[in-house]
Amino acid sequence: MRKSFMIARSNMRKSKGQTAAIIVLILIAALMLNLWLMLSTDYKANFNRYHDKLNAEHVTLSISGNEEEKREFLLQTFEKDNHIAQYCLDNCMHMTGSFPYNGGRMNGWFVFLEKEKALTRLIGKAEIVEEGAFASGVYLPMLYKSDDIVVGETIEISIGSSKVTYTVCGFFNSVMMGSHNCALTELILTEDKYAELEMAGYAPQAALCSVRLKDKSENLNYEALLKSTITERYPDIIMTSNCYDIVTQSRYISQMICSGIMSAMAFFVLLIALVVIISNIINYIQVNMKNLGALKAAGYTSGQLIGALLLQFLGLTMLVAMVGAGLSYCLFPAVNTMMIAQTGIPYEIHFLPIPFVSSLGILGGVVSVAVWYASRRIKKIEPITALRCGVQTHNFKRNYVPFEKTKVPLHFALALKTTLSGMKYNVTVCITMLVLSLVVVFSGLMTENVIMDMTPFLNLIVGETADSCINIQVEMEEDFLEEMDADERVEKAYLYHSLNVSHVDGAELMATLCDDFSKVNNPNVVFEGRFPKYDNEIAIAAKYAKEHGFKVGDEIEITANGKLEKYLICGFTQITNNLGRDCLFTRAGYERLGSLANTSYYINLENGTDIDEFNLEMKEKFEGGVNTTINVVETIEGAAGVYVSLMTIIVIAILVLSAIIIAFVLYLLVRTMLNNKKHDYGIMKALGFTTGQLILQTAMSFMPAIILASFIGLIGCSFIINPLTALFLQGLGIVKCTFKIPIDFIVAAGIGLVVFAFVTVCLLALKIREIAPRALLFGE
Amino acid sequence: MKEILLKTEKLSKSFSNGGFMQHVLKNIDLQLYKGDFTVIMGASGAGKSTLLYALSGMDTPTLGMITFGNKVISDLSQDGLAVFRREHCGFVFQQIYLIDGMSVMDNVLSAGLLVSRDKRALIRRAKELFAAVDIGEETQLKFPAQISGGEAQRVGIVRALINSPEILFADEPTGALNSKTGLDVLDTLTKFNEQGQSVVMVTHDMRSARRGNRILYLKDGVILGECDLGRYSHKDAGRHEKLSEFLQRMGW
Repeated sequence: MRKSFMIARSNMRKSKGQTAAIIVLILIAALMLNLWLMLSTDYKANFNRYHDKLNAEHVTLSISGNEEEKREFLLQTFEKDNHIAQYCLDNCMHMTGSFPYNGGRMNGWFVFLEKEKALTRLIGKAEIVEEGAFASGVYLPMLYKSDDIVVGETIEISIGSSKVTYTVCGFFNSVMMGSHNCALTELILTEDKYAELEMAGYAPQAALCSVRLKDKSENLNYEALLKSTITERYPDIIMTSNCYDIVTQSRYISQMICSGIMSAMAFFVLLIALVVIISNIINYIQVNMKNLGALKAAGYTSGQLIGALLLQFLGLTMLVAMVGAGLSYCLFPAVNTMMIAQTGIPYEIHFLPIPFVSSLGILGGVVSVAVWYASRRIKKIEPITALRCGVQTHNFKRNYVPFEKTKVPLHFALALKTTLSGMKYNVTVCITMLVLSLVVVFSGLMTENVIMDMTPFLNLIVGETADSCINIQVEMEEDFLEEMDADERVEKAYLYHSLNVSHVDGAELMATLCDDFSKVNNPNVVFEGRFPKYDNEIAIAAKYAKEHGFKVGDEIEITANGKLEKYLICGFTQITNNLGRDCLFTRAGYERLGSLANTSYYINLENGTDIDEFNLEMKEKFEGGVNTTINVVETIEGAAGVYVSLMTIIVIAILVLSAIIIAFVLYLLVRTMLNNKKHDYGIMKALGFTTGQLILQTAMSFMPAIILASFIGLIGCSFIINPLTALFLQGLGIVKCTFKIPIDFIVAAGIGLVVFAFVTVCLLALKIREIAPRALLFGE
Repeated sequence: MKEILLKTEKLSKSFSNGGFMQHVLKNIDLQLYKGDFTVIMGASGAGKSTLLYALSGMDTPTLGMITFGNKVISDLSQDGLAVFRREHCGFVFQQIYLIDGMSVMDNVLSAGLLVSRDKRALIRRAKELFAAVDIGEETQLKFPAQISGGEAQRVGIVRALINSPEILFADEPTGALNSKTGLDVLDTLTKFNEQGQSVVMVTHDMRSARRGNRILYLKDGVILGECDLGRYSHKDAGRHEKLSEFLQRMGW
């Protein structure tokens, strides 16, 4: 052990530069690995901790009306149900509404609760996380805390068709209703404001049911069951609900994406670090063949020599990994702030031993395997042969690019000779460039489809989007459609109405009805088969179909409103809204199960039309007939702004990290090459080669691998990036991605990568200036 | 009247060694003539190789001037010196210094193609030179590690002569060779000198020095004396005695 330690120390002293570069790569890998593990393991656990702390519900329902008879029915239903561990029923007000958020508007179903009640509910109580000295106003979920929404400022909230202005008294944390994408959004009013709103009658009274189940995993099915029971009794009530699975997924989409990207980057950096270590060891063995032979001749065993390398790299890795994982805690607050802005749930940073130990374990394990793999050839070195042969750095089997035959100019030919005789450099460069190509293509994909124009991302995540969504009473439908036909501002209006149905012996599905699917803006919702055309057809979520073994052409039994009908599956959809539990019907198809009391229409307006003005006009024109109007663009902009800023940070981080990685890898390779070729460069300088010519040759020798790997990498990755992203998002119910591949970005990035690599190698190769032919005089 | 090829005025070279300046060459005034086989002799540490490398533009002087023809080369930049070397000089090193990763032919052509773009003419000249030093076609395709030391040094000479340099500098060209192969190398250098090639050779070996027509003796960084031996002839029995006497006088 002591001998191995001495050899390891000597090796590290000899290669300080390379050791430094490996340190940086391992440091980045450990940092990202630990961050990823912390994000992916403890954030979900944090949700559960808060869920337990606030005794939050597994299923939440807000039901319009709070008549005594209805309350009695609900209480009896809960009492009789043996799934339920605990429940509570409270009065609240319930209405659609919106408020300005993130440059757009936050739209949703608001549940208004009185402060005292909200903070003391038996189940699903809220906790205040920030509060000013204001006695009258509104408390908002902490998710909405932003530059525009701060304590003490006023906020104008639209409730139905009315508007109210409140002072923001503070922010609260509510696990199940503290977000905009969980069907319900809780707003807490001070006692006076609650009474004022009750008096004003802008939001109708409702019953808020919070249920905790004996078996949490049944939440999704229980939600469907409960809603079905209530709908059977009260077919015309308005009911909004959420459940544990939907809320956890909705609130952690960004965190999942972020930690997924971080894990990919961590493994890319680790892969590159491993390639560098392997290349380093192979090079070390070649250069030190004679020394290794001498050590063997002196009695060192292969095991001791391999042990020394293992000690050197593993010791270094573990030390650096500890520092890297430690450093991740410095970066964690910034990431945490970003994540809290996405999840809206507080997270207190604390030391997480399992991710820490796992990071060290993963790094230590893979580095050990890599060192063993690269150093096992030491076993084959025979002392005598090694001492006699000494350094063998060239493959004498083939003279690449013989000058006599080649038509390539001298400097290109010399560069090619170096390229072709240095396969380990090429392999390292190729792997690095292939990995970076994937990263660059992903960045391009996100830039094009999220940052520049979010429509493709929204099409994938949200499904269908339009400019306006107007919900009207069925009786007014004919007049409304005539108005739409006549209005020149309307490009198209089509029925796009969502409600719930149930799969017999299965789960509740969110059903969307459309009178003509050829009118939808996003035809990619159905990615296999086709949209329903006839009343006996249904398109269902691919994720759900896979879970239940359905194929296109199979029959499925659907029930709603106490009726049961069979439908033929004509296609598969991919929408993430309801954990991938959705389906599409034609209107006639749904009407086999029941009639519609109201219908939602999606409307595309001509460019330049003021959507709010249009909505208001329709509301006034069909007074009493229009239930709700939504400015879809503004709503999406509000929610999407967060994704855009998150993705912008991720893309910038990825590109900067890529530049650092490529610079480090090239630094290592160029340095190794200069060390190996120092003698050759000295001879060449003596023969009359200038420093510039040698720098150019060195840079050009890396170019074939860089250009080829970038070219293949960028083209290949352009083809696989959509399937890879789909794989990455499969947990959300995504099966097929159809993101637009940004050819311009990829071409520019490819050229940028090659130019960056060329310039970097040229700069690194400036060290050639220090090689003097005079050194030959001293036999250096 | 001999034509001056290269001359030095007050040439000095010093090295910093652990904070102390070591003056290796001191105010050397020297002229090298076209067609001469000049031999620089001296004891170890006298500054022979330093002088050779300074004369050839491989190293820059600390003080003084070196002129090649009408051109002052001591003021040139590193790249300027590189161009000077490739266009006017050829080098034969004691350690041979062929590039391991290139075949024998490529080692020669890599130097040739740096100056000439006429590859055909260059290959023709390389083959003539190879024939002249008795390196066969098969050997031309081998790598330096696959040939003997004598062959390698002859390849070194071919590489040095591929661009028909005005001066061929040789630094102890037989130093790493055995007696027989060393003799072959000396014969080769002598043959090219007889054909008009100017040669400047550093050696501490009398057998090698005998091949020169002009012997310079360097001691403690100054040229202590010089001896004119006349053109080499292997039948010239008095040559050895003349050189011995000169060296004895110099304190050899």
